[in-house]
Amino acid sequence: MVGKVLLSCSLTIAFGLAIAACSNAAVPEKASPGVPASTPIAVPAKTYHQLLPAIPIVAAMPSMVPQKIEPASRQKGEQAKPFPTPTPEPIQTLVAEFPITIIDRDGRKIVFDRPPERIVAYDAAAVETIFKIGQGDRIIGTHSWVYYPAEVANIEKVGDAFNMNIERIVALEPDLVFLFYPTFKEELEKAGLKVLLLESVDDNLMKIFDTFRIWGRITGAPNEAELLAKDLENRINRIKSILGPYHSGPSVFQDVGDLWTPGHNTLMGNVFDLLKLQNIAYDVDNYGQLSPEVIIDRNPQIIISSNPELIYENPAFKELIAVKNRSILKANDDYLGISGPRFILGIEELAFEFYPGLSR
Amino acid sequence: MKPINDIDDKNLISTYTYPWKKILVGISITTACALSAVAIGSVYIPTMAIFSILSSKVFFFQESNQLASSSHTIIWNVRFPRVVLSLLVGASLGISGATYQGLFKNPLADPYLIGVASGASLGATLVFLTGLPFTYGYFSLLPVASFCGGLAAVYIAYLISHSSGDTQLSTLLLAGLAIGAFATAITGILMLRSDPDLRPLLSWLLGGFIRAQWNHSILMIPYLVVGTIFVLGYSRILNTMQLEEYYSESLGVDTEKAKRVLIISATLMTSAAVSFSGLIGFVGLIAPHVIRLLWGTDYRTILPLSGIAGAAFLVLADLAARTIVSPVELPVGIITALVGSPFFVYLLLKSKKAIENVY
Repeated sequence: MVGKVLLSCSLTIAFGLAIAACSNAAVPEKASPGVPASTPIAVPAKTYHQLLPAIPIVAAMPSMVPQKIEPASRQKGEQAKPFPTPTPEPIQTLVAEFPITIIDRDGRKIVFDRPPERIVAYDAAAVETIFKIGQGDRIIGTHSWVYYPAEVANIEKVGDAFNMNIERIVALEPDLVFLFYPTFKEELEKAGLKVLLLESVDDNLMKIFDTFRIWGRITGAPNEAELLAKDLENRINRIKSILGPYHSGPSVFQDVGDLWTPGHNTLMGNVFDLLKLQNIAYDVDNYGQLSPEVIIDRNPQIIISSNPELIYENPAFKELIAVKNRSILKANDDYLGISGPRFILGIEELAFEFYPGLSR
Repeated sequence: MKPINDIDDKNLISTYTYPWKKILVGISITTACALSAVAIGSVYIPTMAIFSILSSKVFFFQESNQLASSSHTIIWNVRFPRVVLSLLVGASLGISGATYQGLFKNPLADPYLIGVASGASLGATLVFLTGLPFTYGYFSLLPVASFCGGLAAVYIAYLISHSSGDTQLSTLLLAGLAIGAFATAITGILMLRSDPDLRPLLSWLLGGFIRAQWNHSILMIPYLVVGTIFVLGYSRILNTMQLEEYYSESLGVDTEKAKRVLIISATLMTSAAVSFSGLIGFVGLIAPHVIRLLWGTDYRTILPLSGIAGAAFLVLADLAARTIVSPVELPVGIITALVGSPFFVYLLLKSKKAIENVY
């Protein structure tokens, strides 16, 4: 009896110690570059403005922005427009060339002899892009969570994100099936269909524009695609050049639900980098559920959330700067959830929110 | 061979002594686990600061004003409520798991056996898809819906098994399975027909304590206390129920009433646990077995100690879940299965004989 008690005690303790050892060992590497929680600093009077970086972006913006970005020849009295849609530079007219070869996600070559006429585009971003470059009438099928543009209502839905009605797709006789995840690739190929799965854009903002160009080449509308890509690239570069001189902006935390947050190597992480926001989840790989105490410790100045009320009401978060200042933004998932042509609108919206000095 | 009247009378009289010592030792180990879980986290806070915060809360000492206010929030509003909630949930799952195992005389029984889990998931999914806001001030809809869903599933199963006058436990088991499968199917249909962003729902269903707040623990306590009192009060009867039913009835036990009380208490505890922490597997299954393998088959020992073991195990599992890949958290169910199964297999190997004698 005593032996069993001892055995169980020692097992429990050993388990506890093992865990303690693991987590203790991990503590030093985790220390954030900022002020560690333990440092006894009186922080009662933190306000938003005091925490801004050495060069006060928000304060500096209104007067500085126009001088920085506009060429000297600008007329006096003209309205300051930090993000105008730039007039596209005249680019060489591109000619649709066939056959073309596209490299897919696995590095295989997919050859198109002519633009596909019947596309099943199983991806919201691809549907948006193809419509944007004026080739929407080539799409004959998509999945049921694609809502934009309005014409999508008339396109047949052949499944949702988890299920795909392969029989129906085969019956539609598409000459191209575009997928955004590989689950059904093999089955579709076995059914004799041409399947395209492009490289993921999740880790690099600029890859979105390459995807536009690829769609232009595939559908035989390279000029429209080039214009679209250039337009968006210019708008990104404009934001870059405005924010270029500044060191860094406010710290930010994005909650996509239940404290899941995008890390540094995600599309949103790229957007934060572009906007010079300091993502408090800088050490998170892909998406992860950030520990509440880490959020409190890193104390973001601004929170982007799909459900701000949940954060406002959580007693654990009531001391956060973002909560005190009521600066929790509601994310626009229509724009930032789809890596298509409207993604830039989401970026610009965020830019205006974070840097009120930029007028719309 | 001894004549029959030579047998010492003492052997026939129950020599059972209530396991006060084990309970005390268990509680102190669990307290130690809980305190270390408060002390350890992904943000480093010195032990002295933690003592200062806790003593100011518990004994009304003046809190040192040298502390950053974030440390205070982290200890008092994040870690402490979380540790307390995981203790309560672990205890509920341990006790109700032991109750079901005794009631159904089935070593595979766990707290979710007769449909609580699927019913709770369906309730939560319904709230989720109606697009209602989860919280109205301090009142939160998701736990309530899952609680009602869990209770409803078990109640339907109970009605089915009760239709012939007395509760057939095997019918209850099968009815619970059927209701559970049906609820799971409905949940699946609803989820597939719904808006794409299911991440919050899925992560809720996976279970965990990332949302833990003080008021969850406060709401949880009545269920645990009342359920535990009833179940412990019936632990002797649960022992006799290990015999064939007509034996236990011949001993004067009202088995119908006992079944009803035990099912209701265990279901209430499980539903409350599910509604605040989602579905956390393995705790309710292994905590009673560990106790049984260590200290035998008497339910007067198994029930209280399973609660204590479940609490300690879940606190440590949650500690691991929030520190191993810090700053990111893992679902606690992964840890309970990852750590629980090897430990359980070790116990099985060590005491094969004991297991074979139990069932």
